[in-house]
Amino acid sequence: MLPSIHRGIWRAAEHILRTSTGTPPCRFLSTFNGVPVGIADAETIFALSSGHGRCGVAVVRASGPASATALRCMTGLTRKLPPPRTALLRSITDPQSKEVLDRGLVFWFPAPHSFTGEDSVEFHIHGGPAVITAVLQALGSVPGMRPAEAGEFTRRAFQAGKLGLTEVEGLGDLIHAETEAQRRQALRQMSGELGRLYQDWTHKLKRCLAHVEAFIDFSEDELIEDGILNQVDKSVCDLQAEMERHLKDERRGERLRSGVQVVIAGATNAGKSSLLNTLCQRPAAIVSPIAGTTRDIVETALDIGGFPVLLSDTAGLRESPDLVEREGVRRARERVEQADLTLVVVDCADLPSDAQRAAAFLQEHLGRVLPNQEQPETVYPADRFLLVLNKTDMLHEEQKLKLDRELRQVSGLPPVCLISCHTNEGLQDFLTVLHSSVKTLCGDPLSGAPTLTQARHRAHLQQCFAALAQYQRYRDIDLALAAEGVRLGLTSLGRITGRVGAEEILDIIFKDFCIGK
Amino acid sequence: MLTKKLPPLQSFLSLVSRLGSHLARQHYDVIVVGGGHAGTEAAAAAARVGAETLLVSQKIQTIGALSCNPSLGGVGKGQLVKEVDALDGLCGRAGDWAGIHFSILNRRKGPAVWGPRAQLDRQRYREFIQSELLSTPRLTVLEDSVEELLVSEPNPEEPGQHRVTGIRLANGSHLISASSVVLTTGTFLSGSLFLGQSMSPGGRIGDAPSSAGLSQTLRERLGLRIGRLRTGTPPRIVKDSVDLSLAHVHPPDSHPTPFSFLNTHTRCKPEEQLPCYLTYTTPGVERVVQESLHLNCHIQQDTKGPRYCPSIESRVLRFPGRQHQVWLEPEGVTSDLLYPQGLSMTMPPDVQLRLIREIPAMHRAEIHTPGYGVQYDFVCPTQLSPALQVKSTQGLFLAGQINGTTGYEEAAAQGLWAGVNAARWALSMPPVALSRTESYIGVLIDDLVSRGVTEPYRMFTSRAEFRTSLRPDNADLRLTLKGFEEVGCVSTLRYQEAVRVRDSLQDALAALQALSFSTHNWRKKLPDMRMSEAKGTVLTGMDMLQYNDVSFEMLASAFPECLSPHMEFSQRLKIEAVYRPHCNLQKKEIERIQKEENMSLPQDIDYFSLPVSLSQEVREILDRVRPSTLGAATRLQGITPAAIVHLLNYVHHTGQKERRTHRNRPDQKKEREEELCARNAALPQ
Repeated sequence: MLPSIHRGIWRAAEHILRTSTGTPPCRFLSTFNGVPVGIADAETIFALSSGHGRCGVAVVRASGPASATALRCMTGLTRKLPPPRTALLRSITDPQSKEVLDRGLVFWFPAPHSFTGEDSVEFHIHGGPAVITAVLQALGSVPGMRPAEAGEFTRRAFQAGKLGLTEVEGLGDLIHAETEAQRRQALRQMSGELGRLYQDWTHKLKRCLAHVEAFIDFSEDELIEDGILNQVDKSVCDLQAEMERHLKDERRGERLRSGVQVVIAGATNAGKSSLLNTLCQRPAAIVSPIAGTTRDIVETALDIGGFPVLLSDTAGLRESPDLVEREGVRRARERVEQADLTLVVVDCADLPSDAQRAAAFLQEHLGRVLPNQEQPETVYPADRFLLVLNKTDMLHEEQKLKLDRELRQVSGLPPVCLISCHTNEGLQDFLTVLHSSVKTLCGDPLSGAPTLTQARHRAHLQQCFAALAQYQRYRDIDLALAAEGVRLGLTSLGRITGRVGAEEILDIIFKDFCIGK
Repeated sequence: MLTKKLPPLQSFLSLVSRLGSHLARQHYDVIVVGGGHAGTEAAAAAARVGAETLLVSQKIQTIGALSCNPSLGGVGKGQLVKEVDALDGLCGRAGDWAGIHFSILNRRKGPAVWGPRAQLDRQRYREFIQSELLSTPRLTVLEDSVEELLVSEPNPEEPGQHRVTGIRLANGSHLISASSVVLTTGTFLSGSLFLGQSMSPGGRIGDAPSSAGLSQTLRERLGLRIGRLRTGTPPRIVKDSVDLSLAHVHPPDSHPTPFSFLNTHTRCKPEEQLPCYLTYTTPGVERVVQESLHLNCHIQQDTKGPRYCPSIESRVLRFPGRQHQVWLEPEGVTSDLLYPQGLSMTMPPDVQLRLIREIPAMHRAEIHTPGYGVQYDFVCPTQLSPALQVKSTQGLFLAGQINGTTGYEEAAAQGLWAGVNAARWALSMPPVALSRTESYIGVLIDDLVSRGVTEPYRMFTSRAEFRTSLRPDNADLRLTLKGFEEVGCVSTLRYQEAVRVRDSLQDALAALQALSFSTHNWRKKLPDMRMSEAKGTVLTGMDMLQYNDVSFEMLASAFPECLSPHMEFSQRLKIEAVYRPHCNLQKKEIERIQKEENMSLPQDIDYFSLPVSLSQEVREILDRVRPSTLGAATRLQGITPAAIVHLLNYVHHTGQKERRTHRNRPDQKKEREEELCARNAALPQ
C-alpha cells in the first residue's frame, strides 16, 4: 500500500499542479514572458498559519474573494469592513450557530496589498486546539471557502508576482519540504483504519469508473451488457450512503496522534529501549541484555520543552527467523518511514576504533536503518535524523573525546550525540539537540496538525459526495455527464489517497472485459 | 451537398508520373512517403497550406486502400474523423462518399460520446481519395519506392543535430530534394508477415516489402530509438458461402448521418444501405486455436500487440470458455466478400478454414484471402515534437503506425497535422500545436509525444479529460476557425460555412437566453412537460432546453417568431444547452493547462548543465523526453513540483532575454500570416 518515494512526491505534485478535473487548488503561473498574469482564483483558501504546539496566540489566515464575506459573517461587521491593515478587537462567532468562539484581533488586507495579492483576512486567536478547530470549522462552513493545500499561500503570492526571484528559488525548496511533510503525513494516515477506509472507497470508485467507461467506449460492439451499469448504480449508491454516515460522525474510528512523531530505531541491543526509558523517566519499555527484547512498538507521549512529542520505541532491525520478530521489524521500518524525526541509536562498541572508518560505518548504518533504499544517493536531511551513540560508559575517556572531535569534522552526517543511558552522561546535551529539532519541526504547521488534515479530508469527501450525486442525476439522461460525476468524485477522493490516471482505468477495463474490436 | 463528381479512375492515373526522372521539378517543399491514411492526409494538408508537395507511393493503385477493416469512425475514432474534417482533411468526406452502412454508436449515452461510424465500400473510398489528391493544386503523385533519406548538417539557427534534404529513389540513384519529408510507412518499416509457421518480409500481403535503407537511416544515421509492434488482420470470406440466415441482422441507422460538416447527406441513399451481421464463436473455435498453437509462430512471439484488437488466438487464450462476438461486415456494394471482424488470426490457412467452419453461419464458408500477422518497426514517439517533427532532425516528420498508433482515424489525424507542420517548416512559418484541451487530435499527439507507447495506441473517449467539451458536434467551432485563421489548412469555402454556423448558433443562443419566464408561465407555454422547479423561479429558454423532455422543436413551436429561424441547428442547440454548464466548469482547468502549454521549453536546453537546482534523476528524465512545454513537463512521471518551479523560473528568465533580442518577431509572423491568407484566398477553391 505504501507508495514509493517518487510516487509520493508525484502525488503531492499532482495536488499542487494539475488536479486533473474539478476545482484546481491553485494556478501555478505567475508570469508569462515576464508579464505577471496573476489569475484571481475563484476559490478562497484558509489555514492555520502559525506553528503547531503550545502557543499563546494562533494566526488563522484566509485569502481569496470570499475573505471579506468570511470576515463579515464571523465578526458581525455587516455594515462595513474594518480599515485596511489595522488591528481590530472583535468577538469571533460561528456564522451558522452565532455561538461566540473566541475574542481576538482581526485584520483586513484588501487586494492587492496583501501577502498573496488577493483579498485576505487574518484572525489572531487564542492558541488552544479547541479554539483553533472551532474557527477552522467555522471558516469551512462559509460558502466558497476551502482548506488550503500545503504551501498554497506562498504559491498564490508567487502568482501575484509578490515574490522576488531569489524567493522563487527558495520556493522550489519549500515545495520540496512541504511535499515531503505531506508524504509523511499521508503515510501516517494511510496506515490507519481511516486510510484503509479511503483506499477501499477509491478502489470501489475506480472500478465503477472503469465499468462506466467500458460501457461508453466498448459496449456497442462488445459483449458488455446493460447489467454492468446496474452494478455501478448499486456501488455508487452504497458508497454515497457510507460517505454520508462517515461525514456525520466525525469522531468515529480515528485516533488522533497529535504531536511530533519521534521514532527510536537501530540495531538490536543498541539501547533503544533504555533511551526511551531515560527520556520518559520511567520503565515504559522492558530492557534486557537479550537481543530482540522489544518486538512491538512501544509508544509514549512526552513534553519536550513545551512541545508535544509522541515517542515510539521499535524492534531492533535484524534478519530474524522468528515470525513475531520479523513482524516487529516490519512495523519498525514502517514507523521510521512515517516519522517526523528518527533517533538512530548505535552501540559505541560496534564502531571501528579509527574515526574515519567510524564515519563510513555510520553512513552505511544509516543507509540500513532508513527506508529510502531505492535512492542510496539521497542526502539525509539533518532535521529528520539524529545519531545517538549510546553506551559511552564502555569507552575510555580519551577514545570518547577523539571520537567526538573527529565525528564533528565529518560532513554529510546528521547531528551526532554521545550519551550513556546507564550513567546519563551526555544526556543534557542530547536533550538540547532534541529540543531544537522538535522546535523546528513544530514551527512547521504541517507536522502533526490533525485539525487541518481533518478539515481538508472533510472538504474532499464532501466534494466527492456531491460529484456522485451528479452520477445519479444524469444516469438515465446522459451517460457522459454521469461518468463525469464519477470521475470528479474519484479526483476529489484522489486528493486524499493519490491521483488515478486514465491509464489505470483502461487497465481495469482490459482486465475485466474481453475487448475485441 | 456532396461536392465530388467522380470521372473514371483510369483517366486520373495517366496524369501521374511513374518515373522520377519525368517529374516537372527536382525540388519540392514537402515530400510525403506513403499513401495510406496518414500519407494522403499529410500530402493534401501540406498542399492546402501552400507547399509544393510530392507524394511517393510504391503503388498508385493502393493509395487510399483500407488495408484492414472496411469501416471508419466509432466511439473516440469518430471524434477524430470529425476533427480531421473540421480541418478540411479528406477522410470525413471520403467516408460520406464511400459509406454503405451508417450508424451513430452510443446514441443512448449522451452526445459527447456519440460515435459516428460507417461501413465502407473499399473501392469507392480509394477512388475518392485518389481523385481528391489528383485534383489538389500543388500536389504531384509519384509511383516509386524510397531507398534512402538524405540528411545533412543542421541549420545552426534552429535546434536539432541533422537536417533532412530529400530522398533517394529505389530505381537507380535518382535524388529529389525537399525542405521537409513526412514518413508514413505504416507497417512497411522492416515489416514481416506471419502466416502459420512461415515468415516473409513485407507490410501488406500482395505488396512488395519496402527497402531496408529507410529503416537503416532512421536507426543508424539519425540514432532514433526504434521499437517493434505487431498487428493482424482476419481472413476475407466469400459472401455466397456464408449462411447469413444463421446470423443476427444488424441494420444501419434509417437516416445516415454524414461525417463531414460540409455534407448534408451521404452518397448512399438510406434504403441502399447494407446490413452487418452478428454471430458468435463456439467451443470448437477454442479447440482449433489450442490445437494449432504449435503451428502459429506470430502468437508465440512476445512483441507487443494491442489489448483491444486482439487476434482470436489471444482472446481465446486470455478469456477461455466464453462466446466471442464475430461481426460479418460487407466490403462494398459490388464486393462478394465479407470481413469477419473479431477473427484476426495468423495460423496456417488450412487451420483458418477449419476454425471459421466451427461457427454455424460459416460451416461451409470459403476463405478468399487468409488472415495474417504483421510485425513492424516504430519510432518511439517521445522523440517527436508536438508538431510531429523528429526533434533531432530538422524537417523530418512522422505520422501513423510509424509512431506506434493503430487505426485509420489515428493515422489520418496525425498525417494531417504532420503535413501542416511539414509545409509550415518548408515555408519558414513557425510550427503549430493543438492542445489536448481543444481536440482529440491534441490528446492523441500529447499522449504520444509526452508518454510514448507500450502497445499500439488507439483513441478512446476516456483518454480525453475534457470529453464533455470536445464533442463530435462542435468540432467545426473548435477547429475550423483556428484552422483557417492560424494554421492555414482550411479552404475559404469551409471557413465561411463555419463562420455562418458560429454566428447562427450565437444568435440562436441569445434568442433562447432572452426568453425568460417564471415556472408558472413556462407551464402554460409548455403544458406537456413536467417541472420540479419551485414556483417563483425564473428560467430562460436555455435553462428549459436542459430538461430531458424539452426539445428545441417544442420551444420553437411555442415561440415561432424568435426561434423558428434557427431550426437548422435544433440538435446542436439542444446539445449545447445540456453541456454548457459543465463546460463552463471545465473552462478554468482548461485555461490553466493552456497557460502551462504556452510556456515552451527550448528544444536545445542542455538539462545536465542547466544552472538550477535539479536532481540528477530529474535531469535525466527531462533530457530523455525533452518536453516541449512546461505543461508537458508536469505530466512526466518522476518530475517533482520543485523541479517545475525551477523550470518555470528558467523559462521566465530566458523569456525575458528573448523578448529583448527578438522584439520584432511577432510582426514578422503577422506579415507572414497575412501573406499566407492572401495566398490562400487567391487559390481556386
